[in-house]
Amino acid sequence: MPAKELVRPCMDCKDAEAILDTRKRQLCGNCFKRFAGHKVLMRMSKYKMKKANRKTPKLLLPLSLGVSSTVLLHMINDDIERQLAKTFVNVGFELNILVVDPSTILAPDAKYDQAYEAVTKAFPKLTFTRLPFHSVFEYVPDMKEIIQEYAGSKITDDESRSNEDRLTAFRAVISTATSKADLDSVLLTRLVVGYAKGLGCETVIWGDSDTRLAAKTLAGVAKGRGASLTWSVSDGMSPWGVAFDFPLRDLSKPELEQFKSVCDDLSEIIVPDEPISDNVLTKNLSIDELMMRYVRTQGEKYRGVMANVSRTANKLESTTASDDALCPLCGGHVGNVKGNSGVTVANQSSDNYSSKFCYGCMRSRPEATC
Amino acid sequence: MAPTACFNCKEARAVIIRPKNRHKLCRACFLVVFETEVHETIIGTNLFYPGERVAIGASGGKDSTVLAAVLKTLNERYGYGLDLCLLSIDEGIRGYRDDSLETVKRNAVQYDMPLEILGYGELYGWTMDQVVAQIGKKGNCTYCGVFRRQALDRGAAKLGIKHVVTGHNADDVAETVMMNLLRADLPRLSRGTSIVTESGASDIKRSKPLKYAYEKEIVLYAHHRQLDYFSTECIYSPEAFRGSARTLIKDLEKIRPSSILDIVKSGEDMAALVPQEVNQGGRKCGSTVAAEDDVGGCGSQNGRTSGGEMAAMEKELAENESAESRETEIRLPKGQSLNVSQQKVIKKQTLGHCERCGYLSSQRICKACNLLDGLNRNRPKTAIEVSVGMEDEESSSTLMRQMERTQLTNS
Repeated sequence: MPAKELVRPCMDCKDAEAILDTRKRQLCGNCFKRFAGHKVLMRMSKYKMKKANRKTPKLLLPLSLGVSSTVLLHMINDDIERQLAKTFVNVGFELNILVVDPSTILAPDAKYDQAYEAVTKAFPKLTFTRLPFHSVFEYVPDMKEIIQEYAGSKITDDESRSNEDRLTAFRAVISTATSKADLDSVLLTRLVVGYAKGLGCETVIWGDSDTRLAAKTLAGVAKGRGASLTWSVSDGMSPWGVAFDFPLRDLSKPELEQFKSVCDDLSEIIVPDEPISDNVLTKNLSIDELMMRYVRTQGEKYRGVMANVSRTANKLESTTASDDALCPLCGGHVGNVKGNSGVTVANQSSDNYSSKFCYGCMRSRPEATC
Repeated sequence: MAPTACFNCKEARAVIIRPKNRHKLCRACFLVVFETEVHETIIGTNLFYPGERVAIGASGGKDSTVLAAVLKTLNERYGYGLDLCLLSIDEGIRGYRDDSLETVKRNAVQYDMPLEILGYGELYGWTMDQVVAQIGKKGNCTYCGVFRRQALDRGAAKLGIKHVVTGHNADDVAETVMMNLLRADLPRLSRGTSIVTESGASDIKRSKPLKYAYEKEIVLYAHHRQLDYFSTECIYSPEAFRGSARTLIKDLEKIRPSSILDIVKSGEDMAALVPQEVNQGGRKCGSTVAAEDDVGGCGSQNGRTSGGEMAAMEKELAENESAESRETEIRLPKGQSLNVSQQKVIKKQTLGHCERCGYLSSQRICKACNLLDGLNRNRPKTAIEVSVGMEDEESSSTLMRQMERTQLTNS
């Protein structure tokens, strides 16, 4: 029988029409899914190592309903399904999913409710939990005091207020876009960790693409949070005794978008990112947005160079000793990391009225001049 | 609009908004605050000892002029007891160096400091103009940087000085941090931010007292003290890897002015987090790397390299990746693996002296001599004529006359 006449055969299976270009190769949808999925499964395979006397690890996947985390969930779920179909089932871990309701972080919108409904329906075997952003006060009990001290005279706490009002009041006094985005991500991390600990999860599986990790690295550096890179963008132990893992670190955001485009069932779930308008003045962007934009535009031409960034950050080694002072808000180092004899902190002493919080958090404080 | 009072003294009229934190200051307070911050840096890092002889690497540009002015002021105000002098390198770039060296000469008089000028021509036999004529405008900064590194050290050695200070500012350091992240250069990430770089390749210590000072504030300081400096970029400076980092930092500064300093702080912390083995490995070879391939030092334009570097790295990374899929993993049988690990001895680099010039190097021949080799190989043969002796010269002029005569008869 003559071979199928293909205009542009997939370079892997040679049996289907290639529909997308990735890393200088033309693949069909299925082969691309296998290629991308494999990268993630390799990273997840460490949880499948059977060890004697070791109970099944519990993992928590925070789901933002955006492209990256949803694709990650899809990939992991595919693997679970494959395992369940086998005679010898080896899922290897127990997966929990947490959705911090985007309506309570961004503006309320019915599309998030629809997306949440769709995702629970699409993955019926998995456990989902949805929490509002302000439940950070529930899961991190001393957060009220921390925030009160951090914001200083800018907010006065009223015991009768609900958690929701409390969070709204705090977020309202943060003046710049950069500080807002910075503190939101700090609080979000604390909530996710708090929930993970309450559930007894040993690892949080973050759905950050390589693009996002590079942007987070550069933004972290630019915000004076370089010392926290050892856990905020690297696989390893966080300051709260819960490990952080980033299994999407081999895939860039455009690749995850390609993945989404070949998965029909994801289109209903994923809430697309708000496109950043080109008309916004640079000065009005947050540092996180600027970096995301930088990595995405530069990544078109220099994908490998951008991948260098997160790879380099992942090589840094944590030197945290048990007696090191940690920031009560973000968990970062207070003062200098051991071995750093720089005097940036001393130079800035006038700005640092309290040494309790770390350098990065002091920069985002409501009273800071910039 | 009513004039704003100075944030510091609350009396005089504020004329400056500090780029660093947007404080509004009067002229006098700004100068004092700027100087005090440099003083704090010097004291906080124990940079000098009393009686130390220090050479200021002076290019005539704003950074080194401000550095010289501030150091002179602080030396007198706080009694550091330093013996300061200016050290300039003449790369031999016409239109750039001629004028800026004039500035340095005036500075030497203004600050009453001795001045030493060393030329590439006399050190290496090549001026930068000649290098560019030979190799073109691409990649010439490598030559300039490598030559300059040694030139500053040699100049200091000639003066019997063990400490050279350079005008690198916070913007330069922040750029270097970002650039090393983009280049995945861990060894340099671990040492690029430190205020003192003891190169190990020579016993000369280098430091950057302006490491926490913003470029914009340096310009303001120079302006308000009416310092005499020369402001032109090197005419050969091309687009660079650094350029990408620089644009990013300028954008960051617009968003949050403190971010330059924040990057420096992050850089310092990250330097301490670079794994020990990289760090040491970096130092072993790094001791000379610091001396030899820190491609930089063009005043404020330090570290500019040829424009294609970023694209070249991207190409290499892409090639590595595509090669990876063609690789086959071959594993040795278990019994043999032990053997292999015994054989695998980490190659240590030992410091020696360059066979040609005697400069410290981990290689048989130092990088500067290597580059010179390449240049000399292609040097037009006519250059040899320069070295003809007196007698030959006479005979050659006779020849010339003869030729002229032939030409005349021809016409």
